[in-house]
Amino acid sequence: MDGVVQLQRQLLDYTTLLFQEGFLNDQFTQLQQLQDETNPDFVVEVVSLFFEDSERLLNELANTLDQQSIDFRKVDSHVHQLKGSSSSIGAQRVQNVCIAFRNFCDAQNTEGCLKCLQQVKNEYALVKNKLETLFQLEQQILAAGGSIPM
Amino acid sequence: MKLLNGINSNKKSCQQGISSLGNGDLISDEKLTALVVDSDIICQVLEKAILESQGIQAQVVGSGRDAIDLLASGVNFDLIIIAMVLPIMNGVETTRQIRAMGIRSKMLGVTACSYERERRAFLDAGVDEFIEKPLTPQKLASVLREIRNA
Repeated sequence: MDGVVQLQRQLLDYTTLLFQEGFLNDQFTQLQQLQDETNPDFVVEVVSLFFEDSERLLNELANTLDQQSIDFRKVDSHVHQLKGSSSSIGAQRVQNVCIAFRNFCDAQNTEGCLKCLQQVKNEYALVKNKLETLFQLEQQILAAGGSIPM
Repeated sequence: MKLLNGINSNKKSCQQGISSLGNGDLISDEKLTALVVDSDIICQVLEKAILESQGIQAQVVGSGRDAIDLLASGVNFDLIIIAMVLPIMNGVETTRQIRAMGIRSKMLGVTACSYERERRAFLDAGVDEFIEKPLTPQKLASVLREIRNA
């Protein structure tokens, strides 16, 4: 039981840090509140969808920005989607880069777009890593017979 | 994946005007009903979950054309939540066509990034209110109050 309590404390501390460092915002809490006994894996499933969708969008952004003649409307469309999905799961830092990215698209600024692409890839990789760690902690708690503290 | 299966099973039930709850019943008019029109799978899942957490029966379609076909089949909804960015026919044009059909349901326009001109276009097309994604129970609250008091 001490082990479970320690894991639960670790999870709470880790989650708090993610909010403090701006990786997640209140929207993530909203997702957790939608999870219940009828849908016990809601958060993991929605976040998994976000991972799949983001990786597809990041690939498409890289391809579109690699063209001789860049279609900025297409770039904007992909960024728009990525902003929508990142805001839906509360991935604040990814969302913030998307806002800047969209401004560079509007200005048809290739250099700005390329910088933003790199930034958004970095932020996505970071939040993915953080969320995977969070879910692993949750699994450890459940495997040890504990419950996830809210 | 349970979430995607739940969304996909809506497609046939959407076309038949049958409850998405899977019990084959016609949509009860005891509960409020809502139609989500969004091509983003994450937003579809999230918006449906939020609506159902508020006791609203929700159906989901992924395009403006599917929304119009469903409404033309005679299925009514108290609330239509419609994204601005949709494949082929965007949310603004879809809204215009829905209003031209004489449908007076409450319509809530949603988008990931909004400029004033986009907001204005959506309102002019006929949505009653306009919000930036993500949808949250708090943002939905005033809309639901108006519908319930009507």
